[in-house]
Amino acid sequence: MFDTLSVPAFVAVAMQPRNPRHTMPSAAAPSVAFEKLALPLLPSLYNHAFWLTRNHAEAEDLVQETFSKALRAFDSFQPNTNFKAWIFRILRNTFLTSRTGIATSRTVFLEDHPDVLDTTDASPTPEDNLIRLDNQAALHAALEQLQPPLREALLLCDVEEVKYKDIALILDVPIGTVMSRISRARRTLRQLLQPQFGEIQ
Amino acid sequence: MTQAIEHLNPETLNAFIDDELPTSEQEGVQQHLAGCHQCTLRVLSATQLKAATARAGHRFAPPADALARLTAQLRREPQKTARIYSIRPIAWTALAAALVLAISLIGWRQVHQSNTLSAELLDQHLATLSSAATPQVISTDRHTVKPWFQGRLPFSFNLPDSGALPPDATLKGADLAYLSGQPAALLLFTIHKHQVSVFVIQRTGISDNPAFSRMANNRAGFSIHYAATRDLRFIAVSDVNPADLDLLVSAVVKAQSPG
Repeated sequence: MFDTLSVPAFVAVAMQPRNPRHTMPSAAAPSVAFEKLALPLLPSLYNHAFWLTRNHAEAEDLVQETFSKALRAFDSFQPNTNFKAWIFRILRNTFLTSRTGIATSRTVFLEDHPDVLDTTDASPTPEDNLIRLDNQAALHAALEQLQPPLREALLLCDVEEVKYKDIALILDVPIGTVMSRISRARRTLRQLLQPQFGEIQ
Repeated sequence: MTQAIEHLNPETLNAFIDDELPTSEQEGVQQHLAGCHQCTLRVLSATQLKAATARAGHRFAPPADALARLTAQLRREPQKTARIYSIRPIAWTALAAALVLAISLIGWRQVHQSNTLSAELLDQHLATLSSAATPQVISTDRHTVKPWFQGRLPFSFNLPDSGALPPDATLKGADLAYLSGQPAALLLFTIHKHQVSVFVIQRTGISDNPAFSRMANNRAGFSIHYAATRDLRFIAVSDVNPADLDLLVSAVVKAQSPG
């Protein structure tokens, strides 16, 4: 029924079952089970797709392609594991092979060394408490300015409430990198929000 | 000035507000917070930033029509799958009749499909001719072009050495393309100043579209040449003379089986 050969390798990697002895989520109607799991995530997937593509038409195409790929590979999904992390990973891999994704990935991103956690700036500064969060426009502008890899990790953590270990799975990076990116993202947001004192940039 | 208390480092603070600390460490942090006003303010501030980010990040809702299409996609696909398994005996008669009709339709559909494909190929080739279109990899070096596709395509292929190319044929660069929804490598060559697009796609399982092999040999003055190996299909589009195009396609095909 599901032609696993037709799933591109990059998606297949994302879908490797954690347990080789996998079973169908619902033997009778896997697609109904898929719909039940995927439908509630539609707004989240779309929101995340838009953050990645910055374009409504592309976001819709991305979610559509994600659904198609995920459904084709649904027999490799392990019931009782994190469906949200699984489908977000497919979304991300699909994005990476799109034109916009390829263009984005050509921008060099300097990663903090994952082994060296950010221990500088450990003492609290008065500025820590000076940022203004009541100005949504300023926060939107600051989020827009974050480097995409930092923003992606932060959105998965704060907006999607995905755990660090699952973010690591979605982004295909070590958990230390996830922590470091979230830390850098928040530090950058603070820096961007400090001078504004609630004013729109 | 050294401080007597060791304050929470940013990683611990983040893990604390994200509820990612093991219970034992959580207790330690709580004990520290009970006695450290500064860190308590930092935790408060970080929690506020997290909540504000969550609100600001939930920003892009699908427009009503996109939501309707995506919901319909989710609901339609299951029915399509279910239908395969819900054929009742009474349906066999209808199926037999449908088969007769289908066979007669297949001929028409194949012609139609291959026409659509050749139009798609020509469109993509014409897009590369525009001076504004720069390929994603600009290189005459096959050792630069081939590795660029790693991780971007679910298959691999070889590029001919510049010495193995026909006279006056040069590799100019490459791009990622989609043909009939399949990822394809688009190799850009020139022969006597004529631009040539060579598409490389995978031919495995159901993704091997037989329409690729039935395409017209020319369209709107452009030659379309087709070749295949066991795993790959090659389609070349150009306005160069067909014999030169054939030589280039043969060189590319030959590169797939070195030695």
